[in-house]
Amino acid sequence: MKKTTPLAALGVASLLALTACASGSDEGSADAVTLDYWLWDDIQLPLYQECADAFTEENPNITINITQTGWAQYWQNLSTQITAGTAPDVFTNQISYYLQFVQNNQLLDLTENVEASDIDFADYKEGLAERWVTDGKRYGLPKDWDTVALLYNVEAATEAGYTAEQLSTLTWNPEDGGTFGELVKAMTVDGAGRDGLDPNFDKSDVVRYGYYPEWADGAIGQNGWGNFAHSAGFTYSDDEGAPTTFNFDSEPLIETGAWLQSLIEDGYAPGFDEQSTLGTQAVMENQNVASTITGSWMASTYLAEDAPVEFGFAMVPEGPDGRTAATNGLADSVWAGTEHPEEAYQWVEYLASADCQNSVGEAGLIFPALDSGTEAALEARDAAGFDSSAFASVADAGETFTIPAFERSAEVNSAIQDAMQAIAQGADPAERLSEANDAVEALFK
Amino acid sequence: MSRTMLERTGSRAPRGANDSRVVSPGPSRLRRAEKWAALVLLLPALLGFVVFYLYPTVRGVWYSMTDFNLLNDPTFLGMANFEELAADPQVWDSLRITAVFAVVNIAIVMVLALGLAAFMQRLNLRNWVRSLLLLPWLVPNVAIALIWGWLLDANVGYLSQLLKSVGISGVSFYNGDAALGIIIVISVWSGLGYTALLLYAGMLQVPNELYEAAALDGASETRMFFRVTLPLIRPVLALVLVVSLIGSFQVFDLVQVGYGNNPIPEVRVIYYYIYQQAFSFYNMGYASAIAILLVVILGALTVVQMRLMRANRSDLS
Amino acid sequence: MTTATAGIRKSVRFRPGRTAAWIIIAIAVIATVFPFYWMVRTALTPTADLVPQASQLWPSSPTLINFQRVLGLASIEESVAAGGTGASIDFIRYTINSVIYAGSIAVIQTLSCAAAAYAFARLRFPGRNVLFGVILAGLMIPGIFTLLPNFALMRELDLLNTMLGLVAPALLMSPFTIFFLRQFFLSLPRDVEEAAMLDGVGSLGRFWRIALPLSRGPIATMMLITLVGMWKDYLWPLVAGNSELTRVLTVALGVFQQQSPNTAPDWTGLMAGATLSVLPVLLILVFLGKQLIQSLNFSGGK
Repeated sequence: MKKTTPLAALGVASLLALTACASGSDEGSADAVTLDYWLWDDIQLPLYQECADAFTEENPNITINITQTGWAQYWQNLSTQITAGTAPDVFTNQISYYLQFVQNNQLLDLTENVEASDIDFADYKEGLAERWVTDGKRYGLPKDWDTVALLYNVEAATEAGYTAEQLSTLTWNPEDGGTFGELVKAMTVDGAGRDGLDPNFDKSDVVRYGYYPEWADGAIGQNGWGNFAHSAGFTYSDDEGAPTTFNFDSEPLIETGAWLQSLIEDGYAPGFDEQSTLGTQAVMENQNVASTITGSWMASTYLAEDAPVEFGFAMVPEGPDGRTAATNGLADSVWAGTEHPEEAYQWVEYLASADCQNSVGEAGLIFPALDSGTEAALEARDAAGFDSSAFASVADAGETFTIPAFERSAEVNSAIQDAMQAIAQGADPAERLSEANDAVEALFK
Repeated sequence: MSRTMLERTGSRAPRGANDSRVVSPGPSRLRRAEKWAALVLLLPALLGFVVFYLYPTVRGVWYSMTDFNLLNDPTFLGMANFEELAADPQVWDSLRITAVFAVVNIAIVMVLALGLAAFMQRLNLRNWVRSLLLLPWLVPNVAIALIWGWLLDANVGYLSQLLKSVGISGVSFYNGDAALGIIIVISVWSGLGYTALLLYAGMLQVPNELYEAAALDGASETRMFFRVTLPLIRPVLALVLVVSLIGSFQVFDLVQVGYGNNPIPEVRVIYYYIYQQAFSFYNMGYASAIAILLVVILGALTVVQMRLMRANRSDLS
Repeated sequence: MTTATAGIRKSVRFRPGRTAAWIIIAIAVIATVFPFYWMVRTALTPTADLVPQASQLWPSSPTLINFQRVLGLASIEESVAAGGTGASIDFIRYTINSVIYAGSIAVIQTLSCAAAAYAFARLRFPGRNVLFGVILAGLMIPGIFTLLPNFALMRELDLLNTMLGLVAPALLMSPFTIFFLRQFFLSLPRDVEEAAMLDGVGSLGRFWRIALPLSRGPIATMMLITLVGMWKDYLWPLVAGNSELTRVLTVALGVFQQQSPNTAPDWTGLMAGATLSVLPVLLILVFLGKQLIQSLNFSGGK
C-alpha cells in the first residue's frame, strides 16, 4: 500500500524545502513504550487508570495513555483513526461492531498469545470468550458483561400505587402494553396533576412522562425497543456475520414500533423533538420522565447516595415470549497496525487478569468478565446497599438474549436507527421498517 | 466562469503585451526571458495545483471506479459505484437537502444583507459597530454549532424557552420538520454581517452624483435602490453569489458538530454523507463517486449562474 | 422639491428614516452578540445551577471552575464534580497549532498565488489562457472531492498527523486568490512597469520591486481572508491532523465535545471551551478590526 509515486515525492520534497515546519511524529525509543488505549465510559475511566498504573508498576517500560471518547462518537472516531493509520494500540471493543474490523483485517489475531498464556476461559462468565472468535481466530479477551433493567423513579411509582414487588412482575405486549403499559400511564402526570389513566388527562400539557424511549440505539435497541421486540418473538436475522435474511420487517418489531409510537401520540412518552441534548440521566434526575430502560453499567450512578432522586431497578417486563433482557459483552482488542504488538497483548492480558478484573469489580460499577470480578462487584454493591437483583436474576435465570454481531455494522446501525427515529416522528412502522430491512439486506448481496 | 474570464483575457491583456513589444528593444530575446520569468513565477502555484488539485482529481476519478476503502488494494468495478449511486435514495435525499439549504440560505442572506447594507449606507457607522457585525464570520462553525445547540436545547435552552413562552414550540434540533430550517437560521446568522459589509463596500463605490441626479429627478429612495444601487453593485453581487453557492454546498461543520456526529436524516447534507461513506463505512470508492456527482452539479450551476449574472460587467464601467 | 435640493450637499443617501436605520442596526448588533453573551454566561455558571437557572440572564454564583478545568488547571476530581470527565484542552498548544496552520498557509499561499497571478496578468507565454482556464475550473471543485485522494496521498507518504502534511494541500495554491490578484494586477497602470522595462529591469524584478509593493493592500486582504478561512477550517484538520501534536483549535473543541460524559453533555465546560476559542478572534477584531473592515471594503469594492 506504500507506493510513493514520483510525482508526489517531487511535490513533497519541494514542500519540505519551502516550509520550515517541523513534522512531529512521536516515535518512542526502543525500550520505553507508550500504548494508546481507548474506552468510551467516563465513569469507568478512573478504574482502568488504576489498572494502567498498576500495570506500569509491573512493567516500568510500558506507559498506558487512556483516551475516553463519548459513545456517540466512539465508533466514528475509531474508524477515522483506523483509516488514518493512527488508531489506538488497544481499544475497548463491542460485539455488534467488531466484525467490520475483522472484515478489514484491522484486529490482531491473539490466538497464539492466548495459547501460550495460562488463561483459562472457564474462569470467565459462560459464553463471553467464544464470541470473540471468528474463523478460528481470537480477536479479543473478555472484559466485562452487562444486561439491562427497568429504571424507575421510586416516588413516582409509589404515588402510582406500585410496590417494588409488583414492579418485578410486570408484563408487556405490543397490543395494549400489558401491566407495564398501565404503569407508564399511571406515572404520567399532566399540568393539573392528573395521571395518564384519568379520562380528563391533558396530553398537550404533560409535566412528567411515564417512559423515556431511547431512539439513538443503532440496529440493536439494547436500551429500549430491542428488549420489547425480542420478548414478543423478534430475532434480528437468520444468522450472524453476513446474514442474507434480516427480520427488521417482521411483525413483532413493527408492532413494538407502533406501540412506542402510540406512547408518544397519547402523551405518555416525550416526542422525538423534545429529547434533550442533556441526555437520559438529566431528564431522569429532573423528573421529566419516570422510567426508562438502562444498563447495569449505569446502576451505581443512579443509585448513588448523592443522586438527587431516589431510583430503583426492576427486571424488564415479561413479554408474550417470556422475559428477555439484552445482554452484551465487551472485550479488549489489539489494533493490527500497532507498532508494539507484544506490549499491547501484555496490556490486554493484564486487563483480563484477576488483578485488574477484581480491582475493577470492587468498585461495583460494572460486572467484569472474570467470575471472581463479578462476585467482587456484587459484594461491593451489597455493601453499598445497591440492589442488583434486577440484573443478576435475569442473567442467572437465562432470561437474556445476546446482542448480535454483523459485518458492515456501521451501515446496518445507521439504516435501522434512521427507521426507528422516523417511527418516533410518526412514520408508518411497517412501511419504514420494510424499506430499512431491504436496504440492510442489499448490503450483503 | 472560466469562459467569461477568458473573454476578458482575450480582450485586454494581449493588447498591453503588444504595447510592450513595440517599445522594447530586441523582442525575441526579451520574449524568451519573459517565458523563463513566467515559469519561475508560476512554479510554486503550479506545483500546488498539479500535486493537490490535478493529481487528486485523476485519482478521485479512479477511486470512483473501484471498491477502495483505504485499507485494501483497490479492485476495478467499472461503473458499479455510479449505478449504485443512481439507486441510492440517501444520495438524492442529501442532495435535495443540501440544495434547499443552499438556495434558502443564500436567498435570505442576500435579501437581509442588501437591506442591512442599505441601512448602513444611511448611517456613518463606527468601525467597532461594523467589527461586531463581523464577529460571527470570524468564529469557527464548530463553536457556533455548540453555542446554538445549547441555546436551542429542547428542554432548557434559553432560546427554546423564550420561543415557548411566546407560543412557538417545536424549535428543536430533533424536530424533523424544523431541523433544516434551524440550520439555515444559524447559517444566516453567521454569514449575514460579512455579506452585508461586502455589499456595503460595493455600494460605497457608487458615485454620489448618480444619487444626486436621481434625487433631482424626484426618485424615491426605494426607486434609487432598485434603479441605481442594485444594478451598479452587480459584480459584487455576482461574486458573493458564486462564492456563497459553492460555500453553501459544502456545509458540514454545523451539522456534524451540532448533532454530535449523529445528525438526523433530515439534515444529512451531501458533505456529511460523503464523509460518512468514506470514513465510517469504509466506502472510499463510493464516496468518490458521490463527490464526482457533486463536482458535476456545482460546475453546471456555476456556469449557469455566471451566464445569468453576466458577472464581470458592471454598468459602471 | 426645495427641501430635497437643500439637503443634497452630502446627504442625499440618508434623508428620512435615520431612526429606523438605527433601530435595524441595533437589532442586528444585539442578535449578533447575544449568542456570544449566552456562551460566556453559561461558561460562568456552576454545573449544578445549569438547569435550575436555565433562563436567568446572569448566574447567581458565577464561577471560573469551568475555565480552570477546560484548561487543565483543576484536578480530575474537581472536574468530575463540576460535570466534566477530567478532559481538558491544551489551549496554548492548540492555539499555536492553529496559528501555524492558518498563518503559514495565509502567507505562503498568497505570495505564491501573487507570483502566478502576475504571470497571468502581465507576461506572455504559450498556453497561458488555457492554463488560466484550467486553474479557474479548480474553483468549482468542492473541497471534499480532493480531500479524499489527498488524505490517501498523505497516508501513503506517512504525513498524516504531521504539520507538513496538514498544511501541504493548501499551502501553494488557491484558484480564487489567483483569480482575485490577477484582476488587481490587470487594473494597475502600466506606465511605471514600462518605464522600468526601458531601464532594463527584467520581468522578475518588475514583479518583485514594482508590482508587489504597489499591491500591498490587496495582498494583505487576501492574506487576512485566507487566515480567517484557515482558522475556521475543520474537516481537513479533523481527518488529517487529529493527533495531539497537530490538533488545531477547532478540532480540539470537537474532541472536547466528544469527551463529554456519556449520559450528560458537559455544557458548561463546552461553553468555556467555546469562549476560549473565540478569544483569539476577539483579539483580532480589537487590534485588526479596522484593517479587516478596510480589506472587506477593498474586496467588496473591486
